[in-house]
Amino acid sequence: MSAAPSTPALASAKLIDPQALMSIRSLELRARAVVEGFWSGMHRSPYHGFSVEFTEYRQYTPGDDPRYLDWKVFARSDRYVIKKYEDETNLRVHLLADLSRSMDYGSRGYTKATYAATLAATLGYFIHLQGDAVGLMTFDEKVREYLPARHRVGHLRQLMLALEKPAAGRATDLASPLERITSLIRKRGLVALISDFLAPLDRLERNLLTLSAGGHELTVFHIVDPAELNLGIEAAAVFEDVESARTLYIDPAAARDAYMKKFAAHTEALRAICRKLGASYQQLSTADPLEIALFEFLQQRMRRGRLFRRAGAVGTGGRS
Amino acid sequence: MNFLAPLFLLGGLALAGPIIYHLVRRTTRDRTAFSSLMFLQPSPPRLSKRHRLEHILLLILRCAALALLALGFARPFLKQAPIIDPTAAQPTRSVVLVDTSASMRRDGVWAAARARAEEILRRAGPADQVAVYAFDRSATPLVSFEDWNRAAPADRVAFAVGRLAALSPTWAGTHLGNALVTAAEALAENEDGKTAPGPRRVVLVSDLQAGARLDALQAYEWPKGVELIVEAIKARNVTNAGVQFVADGPESTRAADAPVRVRVTNAAESKREQFKLGWTSAPAAGSTAAGDFIGEPIDAYVPPGQSRVFALPVPKAVAGLDRISLRGDDEDFDNTAYVIPPAQQRATLLWIGSDVAEDVKQPLFFLRRAFAETPRVAVQVIASAPAAPLLPADVEAASIIFIADAVSTETASALREQALAGKTLVVAPKSATFGPTLGTLLGRPELALTEARPSNYAMLAEIDFQHPLFAPFADPRFSDFTKIHFWKFRKLDVSGVSGARVIAKFDSGDPALVEVPAGKGRIYVLTSGWQPEESQLAVSSKFVPLMWSLLEQAGGVGSFATQYAVGDKVALPADGTATSVRPPSGAGVALAAKAAEFAATMQPGIYQLDGGAKPLRFAVNLDANESRTAPLAADELEQLGVPVARLKADVAVASENKTLLQGIEAENRQKLWRWFVAATLAVLLIESALAGWTARRPALETQEATP
Repeated sequence: MSAAPSTPALASAKLIDPQALMSIRSLELRARAVVEGFWSGMHRSPYHGFSVEFTEYRQYTPGDDPRYLDWKVFARSDRYVIKKYEDETNLRVHLLADLSRSMDYGSRGYTKATYAATLAATLGYFIHLQGDAVGLMTFDEKVREYLPARHRVGHLRQLMLALEKPAAGRATDLASPLERITSLIRKRGLVALISDFLAPLDRLERNLLTLSAGGHELTVFHIVDPAELNLGIEAAAVFEDVESARTLYIDPAAARDAYMKKFAAHTEALRAICRKLGASYQQLSTADPLEIALFEFLQQRMRRGRLFRRAGAVGTGGRS
Repeated sequence: MNFLAPLFLLGGLALAGPIIYHLVRRTTRDRTAFSSLMFLQPSPPRLSKRHRLEHILLLILRCAALALLALGFARPFLKQAPIIDPTAAQPTRSVVLVDTSASMRRDGVWAAARARAEEILRRAGPADQVAVYAFDRSATPLVSFEDWNRAAPADRVAFAVGRLAALSPTWAGTHLGNALVTAAEALAENEDGKTAPGPRRVVLVSDLQAGARLDALQAYEWPKGVELIVEAIKARNVTNAGVQFVADGPESTRAADAPVRVRVTNAAESKREQFKLGWTSAPAAGSTAAGDFIGEPIDAYVPPGQSRVFALPVPKAVAGLDRISLRGDDEDFDNTAYVIPPAQQRATLLWIGSDVAEDVKQPLFFLRRAFAETPRVAVQVIASAPAAPLLPADVEAASIIFIADAVSTETASALREQALAGKTLVVAPKSATFGPTLGTLLGRPELALTEARPSNYAMLAEIDFQHPLFAPFADPRFSDFTKIHFWKFRKLDVSGVSGARVIAKFDSGDPALVEVPAGKGRIYVLTSGWQPEESQLAVSSKFVPLMWSLLEQAGGVGSFATQYAVGDKVALPADGTATSVRPPSGAGVALAAKAAEFAATMQPGIYQLDGGAKPLRFAVNLDANESRTAPLAADELEQLGVPVARLKADVAVASENKTLLQGIEAENRQKLWRWFVAATLAVLLIESALAGWTARRPALETQEATP
């Protein structure tokens, strides 16, 4: 859980209060605000993002593409040297945003859906700025919107519009969007699943496994409202399930302990699934600044990149 | 304030409802949307831990509405002074009927009955009038109203209790109907007097057994305003069986040594049904229990409420058997039946006539047939020719002498002597030639008989049914003698015969049957014969009874019965020879001269009549109905029109009912419930208004807070 900035770099950065951020109407503006603020903070950061990155030189051998010859080195030392670098521009990021009715809940003046949309927009904007292709799929009990991963003019705009559509569905069904995306994306990429996961987890593992087996990299953003974490409602009331409209009389004082236990168990189960599949798991409270999500996302990518490099998956056109 | 339906006050318990409702922390109606209920369990409603009632005013109003409604449904009324019952304070007139029948001899019954009767007497107020009657077969006053009134008011109860103390149960049966009629009449008697018209009641202290006879009530119209209070005494033991001897009728043809039939009656409530039955010896002196069984007793199985007849063999070669006992039940009073074994009576009839014995045209033939032998009576007919000399032994043995043919003057004189000595002569002349003999017999030698020949036939026209001879025919069903035709008869002028009584006359006015007293005896003269040549009398149904009637009048056979119930009047033999009666215990009782009956059969046992040629014995037994000791069906008296006010509990119930009726009346008048219902409605209106205002107020406040 990352309720507060954990890294010193991030702590020193000026983070935008989500409350203030969410009062910005335009989703695009919100995303831009986050990313640009984050960008400025990045200058002081030791990390360079995953731009085209030089790694090493090696001796030219006949058959190598002469385009990758480093002519400057040849001019200096009269040796044919091939410049080797990591090519990551072909990254395809698929954002899977849950816009079911359970996401339409928020105790802080804005809903989880807004937060999730902002997160998706932020990631999309960031990835777009990086020059990578970004796609979007919004779903509730079925798939609502689908934008294939592209990097072209106007695509970001379409993505923002899709995210701005209000949550309409009732239930959360994680299985069918995952199955759908499995069938839709053939090329390997990164799948970022943004959801509150307020649904039974029994089929989730199988669906994620299918994705994972397809070579996709998985990142799970678990969006929770602070009131969901500790049942932060004081007065006894008739609780109404926003998805099923089922009502129950709940006295939070009496029900809190049991709720928290169950919620923790549910979270732990989700985390265990992610761990098992090698997916990164990130729980985000809607009170958390979005930069944290972005930072964690990048850090996760870096770690995985290093992991890949250490494993020796090296070569032109290689990817992390 | 009183309530007609106080049970409705329990509705007040519903007050707990609103109180609990107010204590329960109000379940909020606010809905809180929440993302998912998948981790939540419903919470039970909680009682407020602060014990703080919310909305006190509403609570009070709601409680008040419920309480008022409950009060209204309980139909309240204000008790008012009851209307004075004019009859309530008036002195009562009551007759206390104390049962002294044999069934009261059961264990503990009499003591309880006396105690109850005394208690009733002690309850009598100073102005009340009480008479006490004891009853079994008949009701006898112990204390009459006059006795009661005569005694000083302070001494009355003691006086009556003293009379009661001297009383003990008798052996007689229970004629409850008679007793009730007597009591009701005693209450009705002084109607016209000056006594106050207070309530009149008969208080019956009895074991009220099923065997009580009520038939007297059937024809009796119970006087209005007289009520019966039944104080039933319960017996300690319920198992009781009684034994009765089943006497054979006079026409019975059973042999003398045949088994004796006894009936065993088991009371309806008995717990046992297996008894022993057998002949017993007389009890030892000073003991009341029956002696030991003689011979082997038989088993008697009688289910409760039934009676069965058993044939009890008579042990051979045992003399003096006179009682049969039953063993195996709880009560001894009805366990012995006294039996006089039947014996054949013998009589002799002397016939003086020239008849050939088996000549079907002669009168003797019919006479012999009329006196055929039965197990009870054997009549020997001795025929003697008119010319033959009279044998003294025959004359002595004969109870009655028939003379049909003329005899010599000496013989006639001798016969007249016999008549004067007490014999009965029946003269049935066959012809007018009998005249001189008849003259000698009647002591009027000049008397003449003339043959009469009616043109067609004669018949009996005028019969004196008062005469003992014709008394059995007095009933209109049997009194028609006109079917008997007489073709021949002799005319007889009896005007000169002193004391002659014409019992029957022909339609011509001539006497048909004349009775002439002669000294101690009497002479009957039949002016016509019964043989078919002279009349149809012999072939008519009247002949045999008439002949037996003649024999009975002559004292030849007695119709003396040997079985009686306690209290029955014993008809003494007609000849008046009995001089004293010896009861089973105690000294003999001398009888008045010419006494026709003996009534003092006070206890069961064998009685003996002394004074006759041979002593006569008769058995007096308990009334068979006394053995039926199960209680009388409760409604039997009411079915006979007797208004029964039941026991004390009933009286209490009646007074309760009266109070209830007064309550209903007062409630109907006052109708307080309407006020309570109105008040309920008013309170509910206020409550609704207040609740509405209370509910609106937070909403208003919220609106004001967020304009």
